[in-house]
Amino acid sequence: MIRGTFLKELKELTRDGRVRISFIIVLLLLLAATWISKNQYEQTNEQHHQAETSERDIWEGQGSKNPHSAAHYGTYAFKPKYPLSLIDHGVDKFTGTSIFLEAHTRNEAQFSKATDQTGLARFGELTPDFVLLFIIPLLIVFLGYNAFTKEREMGTLLLLRSQGTPVWKLILGKWLSIFLPIGGTVLVLFVITGLVLSNLKDFGVFQWDSLGMMSLVYMAYYIVFINLILLVSSKVKKSGISLVISLSIWIMACLVVPKAASNIAESTHPYPTRQEFVANITKDQQNGLDGHDPWNKQARELEQQVLKEHGVDSLEQLPFNFDAYRMQKGEEHTAEIYFKHYNYLKTQFEEQTGLYRNLAVLSPFLPARFMSMAIANTDYATHWDFADSAEKYRVELQAFLNGDFAENSSFGEWSYRADASKWKELPAFEYDPPELNETVGRNGSNLMILSAWVLISFSLLFFTTKKL
Amino acid sequence: MYKYNFAYEFKSLFRNGWIQLLTILLFALFWFAFSNGHEKVAKRQADIQAAFDEVKESDQVMLKLLDSVENGLSVSASPWTIPSRPMAVGNYHPRVAAMDPGQLAYIATGQSDLFSHNVKPTTSGDDAALNFTEIINPVQQLFGSFDPSFVIIYLLPLIIIAFTYNVLSAEKESGTIRLLASQPISIHSWVLQKMAIRLFWVTLLLTLILVLVLFLTNTAGNLMELLPIWGICIAYSLFWFALSFAINLWVGSSSKNAISLIGLWLLFVLLIPSVMNQMGSTLYPMPSRTLMVNKLRTIKAEATEKQDEILDNFLRDHPEYAINDPNQGRSFYHRYMASQQLVREELRPVVMEFEDQLQKQQAWISQLKWASPSIMVQQELNALSGTSTKDYENFRKQATGFANVWREHLLPFLYNNEPFSSADYENLPAFKYQPLESKGTSKTIVILMVMGILVIGIGYLRGFGLQQKNNLIIQ
Repeated sequence: MIRGTFLKELKELTRDGRVRISFIIVLLLLLAATWISKNQYEQTNEQHHQAETSERDIWEGQGSKNPHSAAHYGTYAFKPKYPLSLIDHGVDKFTGTSIFLEAHTRNEAQFSKATDQTGLARFGELTPDFVLLFIIPLLIVFLGYNAFTKEREMGTLLLLRSQGTPVWKLILGKWLSIFLPIGGTVLVLFVITGLVLSNLKDFGVFQWDSLGMMSLVYMAYYIVFINLILLVSSKVKKSGISLVISLSIWIMACLVVPKAASNIAESTHPYPTRQEFVANITKDQQNGLDGHDPWNKQARELEQQVLKEHGVDSLEQLPFNFDAYRMQKGEEHTAEIYFKHYNYLKTQFEEQTGLYRNLAVLSPFLPARFMSMAIANTDYATHWDFADSAEKYRVELQAFLNGDFAENSSFGEWSYRADASKWKELPAFEYDPPELNETVGRNGSNLMILSAWVLISFSLLFFTTKKL
Repeated sequence: MYKYNFAYEFKSLFRNGWIQLLTILLFALFWFAFSNGHEKVAKRQADIQAAFDEVKESDQVMLKLLDSVENGLSVSASPWTIPSRPMAVGNYHPRVAAMDPGQLAYIATGQSDLFSHNVKPTTSGDDAALNFTEIINPVQQLFGSFDPSFVIIYLLPLIIIAFTYNVLSAEKESGTIRLLASQPISIHSWVLQKMAIRLFWVTLLLTLILVLVLFLTNTAGNLMELLPIWGICIAYSLFWFALSFAINLWVGSSSKNAISLIGLWLLFVLLIPSVMNQMGSTLYPMPSRTLMVNKLRTIKAEATEKQDEILDNFLRDHPEYAINDPNQGRSFYHRYMASQQLVREELRPVVMEFEDQLQKQQAWISQLKWASPSIMVQQELNALSGTSTKDYENFRKQATGFANVWREHLLPFLYNNEPFSSADYENLPAFKYQPLESKGTSKTIVILMVMGILVIGIGYLRGFGLQQKNNLIIQ
């Protein structure tokens, strides 16, 4: 009977002109979106590669100069794009792509794509994640809203009941007739994307298991929608009402809850403004060691301490350049201040994430969206990870430069110039995104909530529907 | 007939709970959205105020230091931060260039979550480095804000669709259409009357709720300020009612109507905007920011190498500075500011390229926004709120201009080797934001109404056709 129901439903769906047209439109949209994304991805990667090489050339070719001038001259860390960003663009267009690494200051990523776009972009962009997360659930609504109501309206429900078929078999048949076409198509598209990605040059860290995990997330998301829509259809008498309720579920889950969540998150756990943030850092810096300022109180203390440690009575007698040493200490101190303040930002961010997670109880969209972004390495946590590793590199860069300055010059020798070949010795910045198991571990709760959605919606559908 | 229709509709809408539901729904949505909007605006104002307060505080310190210096006292600050040096004033005591929210800023978040509303340009900063962005969780930008503009653009049409999709089909499905057909009124006029009655209710409720919410969320609210918003809401509603009218006559069963209407909603609200956006950025592609960084670096590197030469040229171009300084004392800043000037000039075309492309994209959208009423409404609400792309471009332009004013004000001190004194404090320039005027509202409202009337005409066409063939009942 499961097979019978399944085949009958499938036949009916393929005969329905609306379903055929919507299915074709969704497929076309998805293909167009993927094609656009692929072009963008290749272009961005090429520019990234070009920028990175040329920045390295600029760094290496800066000629003979004082290491501290080189520190102010600085260098850039560019954020790479990862293969799965082809499917889910995540927050990438809102986060900057390059971080300037210089002495004394931790800078933030600059130049987000969104600031270079018009207000129209805020309606949403034609990307695969847009189709996968918004349009396909809507397609599910159209496919499933009348699964039971039409039997009721046409009177065929009586016939079905008279055959003595268990209700769950009927439900399963109908369930499969929606899930298999949707799931099958999406799976095929994921496999095609995988093949395209593994054939792109520079495909870097593309891994099939990440893609597999991502497709599982989407399958779970669609299963939840199918369960909910069928549940509505089985409880309601008229197709029209069933459609309106199903659409309201879609609107709530995909549009209203995420937006309301973002407002609530922002007002309950606000970020400081840039102005406030910078002012707080400056205040802490004024109370601490200023690497440039020998007259500063902390600098004097450091001087006494170093003199005592080396058992000498003047800075000139030290085996290294004390100016550079003090600058390095100042740098370490600044880095600590930045660490403290960025940690505060991070706690706010984690509180906000927790809030989104709690609100995921209201919408399966939220855990699916967060999981998908995380696997694609386009989520906010990955951006933090990138920014942190750029900061780590910046601190190492300062130590490298101040170290050279301290070792190869004597106290007061500001005219010291490091050799032009020195800059090559600095290892280039490299960033490895988190591995799949790390991402999954970090998103354990999202995974759990999504699984809970699947289980609860299944049990609601199969256990509360005893009679049709 | 009209009177009966009206009384009957009112009774039935009231008895099946539609009016009550509509009231609660509209009230809850608008109230939440208005509160969110006001919260954002209040935060924006507080942030701007905090920036001004900070400057005030740092000015007190500056004046105290100046006073000590002028009285020959020794000061404990690092020598390069002492404000008798003009560049210390320029870099450590910058002024705030703030973009004050307009009266209607709470209506649409627009681009306001992407940009900062106050910047402090310094004398040695370059224009490309002036940071106009704010620290924010990008997830919030991705999801967008639940503001009045979201309720109007996205949800209002959906509510109207739910309210009207089965006006005709319900009669067909319950069999009462045969009774109606025996009445001395054409079916399309009858549907139009039913629609008009529902439009009347939506208009009335919207008006009452907008007024109520205005006073609940903003005690200083001025009714007149809401007039353009109200006009747009009504014209946009009219369009969706008209669409529903046409679909009711052209399509058939309730579910087919609903699917067609949702399809159109998807088309106007999501697909046309995203396709247009895609086309805009394909036609006028943005240059790469990462490559811009490279260019910037190369230009700066060249300028640093030739600093002395640049300063010579600069002084040749500005003899007024060279003459006044008999000792020709040259410090780091003399060379640096001269080379920065050159860097800025060379960089301007690179930076302008981005603004130009953005302007071209915006112009392209303005030409084609008629393709979707939702785009028209979004552009109009953003413009009224002062949060559109154009408004931020305007602010960027003014702030960059002010950066120049600030620099030009302090440069003479530097090159004349004149100390900055407490007497000069009074003359420091201040920034005043000049908002853009939005003038297109009535035009947008008229166009939306004309579109609505055209769509009603399309519906009527079908109605006449059905009448002539006499097949409305059999259909």
